[in-house]
Amino acid sequence: MPKHYRPAGKKKEGNAARYITRSQAVKYLQVSLSVFRRLCIFKGVFPRDPKKKVKGNHHTYYHMKDILFLKHEPLLDKFREMRAYEKKVKKAVSKKNKDLAERLLTRKPTYTLDMLIRERYPKFIDALRDLDDCLTMVHLFAALPAIERENIQAERIHNCRGLSLEWQAYISRTHKLRKAFISVKGIYYQAEVEGQKVTWLTPHALQQVMPQDVDYKIMLTFLEFYETLLGFVNLRLYHSIKLKYPPILDPRLKALAADLYALTRYADAKDRTIGANNEESELRLAQLQDQLPANEPGALMHLVENVEDDNEDDEETKACKTLFQNKTFFLGREVPRESLLFVITAFGGVVSWDGDGAPFEESNQDINYQIVDRPTQSHRFISRDYIQPQWVFDCINARIILPTEDYMVGKVLPPHLSPFVDNEAEGYVPEYAETIKRLQAAARKEILPMPGGEHEDLENAQSLLAEGVIDRTEAKVAAEKKQKMALQEKQYHQELKKEMEGMQDAPDRNIDDVKNDSEENTDMSPQQLVKDDENMTMVSMSRKKRRLYEAMKISQGRKKANVETLETRKKNLKKNKKVTSD
Amino acid sequence: MKSLLVTLNTRVLKVLLFLTMIMRYDSIFSEGNDDRNSDSELDSGSGSEDEDGEHPSNEAGLSDGVDNFDQGDQSASEDSREVVDESDSSEDEVGPRNTIGDVPLKWYEDEEHIGYDVAGKKIKKKERLDKLDSFLARTDDANSWRKIMDDIEDEEVELTKEETKLIRRMLKGKAPHADFDPHAPYVDWFAWDGAKHPLSNAPEPKRRFIPSKWESKKVVKYIRAIRKGLIKFDKPKEEPRFYNLWGDETEESRHGLSYIPAPKAKLPGHDESYNPSLEYIPTQEEISAYQLMFEEDRPKFIPKRFTSLRSVPAYEKSVRETFDRCLDLYLCPRARKKRINIDPESLKPKLPSRKDLKPYPTTCYLEYKGHKGPVVSICTDPVGQHIASGSHDGTVRIWEVETGRCIKVWELGEPVQHVAWNPLPEFPILAVSMGQDVLVLNTGLEKEENKMIADLLRVETTPAPDDSESAGSSVSWSQYDKYEGIRIKHFKTVSSVEWHRKGDYFSTVMPADILLILQLCSRSRACLTILIHLLSKKLTQRLPFKLHGLPVCSTFHPTRSIFFVSTKKNVRVYDLVKKKFIKKLDAGVREISSVSIHPGGDNVIVGSKDGKLCWFDMDLSSKPYKILKSHPKDITNVAFHRNYPLFASSSDDCTAYVFHGMVYSDLNQNPLIVPLEILHGHTSVNGRGVLDCKFHPRQPWLFTAGADAVIKLFCH
Repeated sequence: MPKHYRPAGKKKEGNAARYITRSQAVKYLQVSLSVFRRLCIFKGVFPRDPKKKVKGNHHTYYHMKDILFLKHEPLLDKFREMRAYEKKVKKAVSKKNKDLAERLLTRKPTYTLDMLIRERYPKFIDALRDLDDCLTMVHLFAALPAIERENIQAERIHNCRGLSLEWQAYISRTHKLRKAFISVKGIYYQAEVEGQKVTWLTPHALQQVMPQDVDYKIMLTFLEFYETLLGFVNLRLYHSIKLKYPPILDPRLKALAADLYALTRYADAKDRTIGANNEESELRLAQLQDQLPANEPGALMHLVENVEDDNEDDEETKACKTLFQNKTFFLGREVPRESLLFVITAFGGVVSWDGDGAPFEESNQDINYQIVDRPTQSHRFISRDYIQPQWVFDCINARIILPTEDYMVGKVLPPHLSPFVDNEAEGYVPEYAETIKRLQAAARKEILPMPGGEHEDLENAQSLLAEGVIDRTEAKVAAEKKQKMALQEKQYHQELKKEMEGMQDAPDRNIDDVKNDSEENTDMSPQQLVKDDENMTMVSMSRKKRRLYEAMKISQGRKKANVETLETRKKNLKKNKKVTSD
Repeated sequence: MKSLLVTLNTRVLKVLLFLTMIMRYDSIFSEGNDDRNSDSELDSGSGSEDEDGEHPSNEAGLSDGVDNFDQGDQSASEDSREVVDESDSSEDEVGPRNTIGDVPLKWYEDEEHIGYDVAGKKIKKKERLDKLDSFLARTDDANSWRKIMDDIEDEEVELTKEETKLIRRMLKGKAPHADFDPHAPYVDWFAWDGAKHPLSNAPEPKRRFIPSKWESKKVVKYIRAIRKGLIKFDKPKEEPRFYNLWGDETEESRHGLSYIPAPKAKLPGHDESYNPSLEYIPTQEEISAYQLMFEEDRPKFIPKRFTSLRSVPAYEKSVRETFDRCLDLYLCPRARKKRINIDPESLKPKLPSRKDLKPYPTTCYLEYKGHKGPVVSICTDPVGQHIASGSHDGTVRIWEVETGRCIKVWELGEPVQHVAWNPLPEFPILAVSMGQDVLVLNTGLEKEENKMIADLLRVETTPAPDDSESAGSSVSWSQYDKYEGIRIKHFKTVSSVEWHRKGDYFSTVMPADILLILQLCSRSRACLTILIHLLSKKLTQRLPFKLHGLPVCSTFHPTRSIFFVSTKKNVRVYDLVKKKFIKKLDAGVREISSVSIHPGGDNVIVGSKDGKLCWFDMDLSSKPYKILKSHPKDITNVAFHRNYPLFASSSDDCTAYVFHGMVYSDLNQNPLIVPLEILHGHTSVNGRGVLDCKFHPRQPWLFTAGADAVIKLFCH
């Protein structure tokens, strides 16, 4: 009897019983594919790869337990109910029973995703761990236009915008931002919340391209979940710093599209008047804040810096908090205001901007830095530096105040480096990264060795060899070095000898002699030796390990090749520069 | 009431219609103008009272109407007084001049007439004043506001004072006539007192006295709905959308299968910066080279440099990439993959130091040169003083090991396949396979016992054919004429010759065609491709077993009467005394090329043409204990050392590997295999490298024979 044959009465076993394809699952749950998709997205159910694909390679397989998990979901019933209800409405409409249709529409069954979030993220920390995609999506939708055709509604865009700003306000208020990076794709931010690194991408604040071949329904389903999730996360975070959620904002600032500023103000004001307020007076308070300290920009946002808060902060937060302390910034019209407002306040700076609702004017004497992004600046105040926005981002990534000369208006900027790259692991350190490193060291009042001075210790290899701990290859390399050294030494001794003897012989011959001597010792070239050794260890490895080793070597080789291309490009650039300068 | 209706004649109605059009005062007269016919019916019902003279204008209109009827043609001013009363039942009244009835006037738009009179004659359209003229006329005429155009009759009508009043009152929502009192006290003209009989004699029905059942049912329904909460009177209180979801930090674990978090999106590198270092930007040639690549290999992102932040455009793929991420999140199968983040060097096994495993051959000490063609086979004599070599140039040479001097040369004239030295030191006999012949030659190195050897190597000139069982027919023994020795002629090319340890038997292998084998095997069960010869009696025997597959080589067990035959796929082990098949060693390689038996007899190494070397522990399993993938090309030969724990493999890639292969007497301990050295030195000729390797019987030395016609001796 063949192995795959199953008698008629017998149950399926193994992979055939444990995994079902997507179309089977849809049939099993008796839903449409779109409902199934929604359920999967909301519940976080994903396909799994069985060891043996019973139905073939081109299918998507779900685990039966996952499908049962979906089957018992109350949301599934809710979806069915909603579908039935829609039919009711449709019937009423088609029978021209307008009243009934209207009445029915007012009482549409709705659903919430609250319990699903609790179920998927039993602990708050789990939610934070999975927040990256959520934040990226919400920030993207905050920048998209509302399109009726694709069912992207204006309220949802506004909601996304609100949620993203609330999140940013929290991060900047608690100084949790760690890294920021302007890329072509947008601006990446990384914050550390409760020990979790949360990274998100905000698109550049421009008209976004809306491709036609994208299924916005799927994205909106994801967004629905993410909106709920971020709402709950924001509430939790706001409560943790004793703020009310949702925040009540000054409508005037909101109208001026300075929501983030309004939010920071809200947070600050709450600090000042803890416990003193009724809920009703909050709105008035929010409006009052606008008039109260209008003349004192320094006091505005940092009127109350809670001293007791400092104790809770860890070292890094403290460093972030004090980076731009007592520095006042002014943003030009052309600068991305929202992003800089967020970043600078997150690092303890005070910001104003050119436009309505700004806390202070351009002519204010306290301003240290004016951030502009134009070819030339005509009118200048002497007391401040006119710098390009990249300076802020480079400063926060380096955690020091960088010298502003390179970033002045109209200058060609130094390269903007990604803070997410581990240069050492990558094997290639860009030039500017080294400069920044030296500046950092200078800021810490340390002295780093100048680059280029490599002290290869020969003794080290020898001692290692003596210990007999090192690998053979290492020993080989060491031996090679030793050989070279011996060769040089020999040559040197001979020369000495000759000098002593006073003979003036041709030095070329001597070197040849020495070389011949050394070659007699080992008749093979050192490369050959190393290769042999490599081969021999490969022979003694098991197949699995050998494959793994080879794969690792391949990836290492790829990395190396990348680094090499970078280095050749750099060399070529230098050459070209020289040619042009000549 | 009647008088009111009368006054609502069609002209007024038309005026009202006109006014509503102007003033958009549609709420009042929406009922009035939607159905003109009903009004006209009412009018007709009350036609007789019209003559009461409430409206003098009516009479005037009548006369005018008659005039119009008679004349057929009239002026606008005359028509202004006309009253159009649509009471067609009365003979006294004159109906409208135009008889088209209530049809859309659009039908006559393009015609020259506006309709037909009673006689059926066409009524011609009048010349209309153009706008300017009509405007001037309007400004001149003080009564112009009273004049309206009657489209059906195609004439201008001037409203009377009463009519305008009527309209004003109606516009205000009052009754049309000033003297009509809508709230006049009701006068019951019916005298109840004098009536003798009631209108109906029916008793009062019961339903007048009991509450309505349906009403109460309805009430009950409402009550229930209210109780159930289906009907709510006050608006539901706005619950806060968000609350502290993780308030009660109960240790609740996730339901369902184990959750595999999606891998986080890749973080951007230096090259994704809006202003990367110049070396990250590919040159134009590199970018154009990307077009030649496969689409999958092509880099997805090409770094670009912008001089300032303001010049950075929106990223055109941002929505697309987020969408792709969404698809990945819900459609990609997830599996936990163990990612090993270790130094690859740590994967290398810890082997004992090679220094401890000395001595083993490391360097080339001697070269034996003299052959003209590739040296195919070498063999050392049992003492280790001499070495014999056979080459494709048709010679067999004997060399002195220590000096490298060639002692003897046999010109055999045919490419030599294999040479093998008799394992007994007192009989320095050499077996050589060459084409279809096997020669057993006297080397003449032992002077004293020459006679014995001579005896051994003498064959009767006419060997009587033995019984058919021993395959005498296919093999013929004869004296070799050219040199001292025996010639055994086979029916096929002989590839290898192997001696039994006692030096009397030797086996020959003929890797024949498969067809031939089938043919032979069908004749007898015994295998014809492997023959065992008995030198002392000049006998030849077949191997009494059936062999599956082509034989490649054969070997005798070093201590027991066991015979190994290797086919291309496996090694078969036979007991020669019991005439029994013992076991099959399954190498699992593509094609076996050589076999060697450990001097202990329990371990076998097999070399294959795909460069793999398999070590079999016969006690352990019929599967290889270890497979060493050492050579990139075919392994030509493998060899065990007789005394030292060494074995070697030679290959067509011009190298020979030397391994340490320690076999312990303790059965629980597995053999220890350590690669020791790679021996280079030979050069490749026609794609062939080292063709044979043999160990020195006493010393840890290795002889290798190369296709470059050189034999090398590697010493420790």
